[in-house]
Amino acid sequence: MNYRTPERANALAAHYVLGTMPARARSRFARLARTDSVLGDAIRAWEARLSPLAQSVPPVEPPERVWMAILARIDRGGAASAPERRGAWASVSLWRGLALTGFATAIALAVVLLMPPLERPEATLVAVLAGDDAKPALLASADRTGRVLTVKLIAPLAPAADRSLQLWALPATGNPRSLGLVPMSGIVRIALPVAAGTALQDIPALAVSLEPSGGSPTGLPTGPVLYSGPIQRLY
Amino acid sequence: MVVDPARQLERSARLMELLARIALADRSAFEQLYRLTSPHLYGVAMRILRESAAAEEVLQESFVNVWHHAGSYVAARSQPLTWLTSIVRNRCLDRLRKHDIETVSIDDEEHAMTIADRSPTPLELLLSGADASAVRRCVEALDAVQKQAIALAFYQGLSHSELARHLRQPLGTVKSWVRRALERLKTCLDGAGVAR
Repeated sequence: MNYRTPERANALAAHYVLGTMPARARSRFARLARTDSVLGDAIRAWEARLSPLAQSVPPVEPPERVWMAILARIDRGGAASAPERRGAWASVSLWRGLALTGFATAIALAVVLLMPPLERPEATLVAVLAGDDAKPALLASADRTGRVLTVKLIAPLAPAADRSLQLWALPATGNPRSLGLVPMSGIVRIALPVAAGTALQDIPALAVSLEPSGGSPTGLPTGPVLYSGPIQRLY
Repeated sequence: MVVDPARQLERSARLMELLARIALADRSAFEQLYRLTSPHLYGVAMRILRESAAAEEVLQESFVNVWHHAGSYVAARSQPLTWLTSIVRNRCLDRLRKHDIETVSIDDEEHAMTIADRSPTPLELLLSGADASAVRRCVEALDAVQKQAIALAFYQGLSHSELARHLRQPLGTVKSWVRRALERLKTCLDGAGVAR
């Protein structure tokens, strides 16, 4: 298809800017537009047409930590990045990590069990994810019947610039499944397609790997496993 | 946010000047740009991603990108706020498309309610976004279904298939609504001299 005719470039740019273009077409189109001035001009024309619409979105003051993080990144010159240990996924460290996490899990379970009783009977899934040093780094929990997995960072993490942390479900057999990205601090709630009890039924453990910014491009972990831990089922 | 044209021109000139200084690695210009534009850009990102951690990350990545690439901003080609908004929207959309699992399902009623409780609907945004400009006339000229489809795609980042599910229409129907809406907007806006 000749995308360089003005009509075609215009129609594609309209979908790109509106956001309705599917993932693969989107990244391909963005790549082409970087070097093709016909496409670049068509995109800018649509941005000019549609961007007045964004003005009506109510402004929201971002937390100050965003600005601090930006400053920290530009101070490092954006060049720093952790050396990647490719292949670490299959290494023994993951499984050693899982074993070490046992103690951390015991503590976390104690915390969960000591909390005041809730109004309705609870059936919870909990996982404490720890690194090689066995220090708990993340706490993941979900109500068995809920469709949300809540991940709390026990201490703020500081991965290198331009990297993201990605959470994976590790099935007993087969490939890890991405559950989504986790932030460097705070709490994230990850939507599950079905109730947690079902979504994580055959999943013995969770793990977090270091990935390129925006997450693994392949759909499978590509970077080192930083944290992992077994899922405990309180039911 | 309704902005009168004179103030908008003044703001654009200010942002252009800041971008020029940032291209020369001026930290204080960078901070001023951040203070002036981040609430708007964070609002846009929150609206699309509906998740503050993800929106914070996008805002962070976008500004780091602006710091490194302010020199590539060409004033003759786009308004500064358009340029900045596009950087943020593109990153949001890339994330939504790449990580389907992170996209909060529109069927998630609980979530839909929290959104509905605290903020205007996409359609309300579309109509108020069009305030005091040619865009208003052009948006109002669209059919109701076209307005709805454009609003959900633009403000919430719904893809064609998500639009089809949400509007309970066949994919082909939704695609042609969007295509015709975009054609009509283009004809109308270009006639009014909005796009450069």
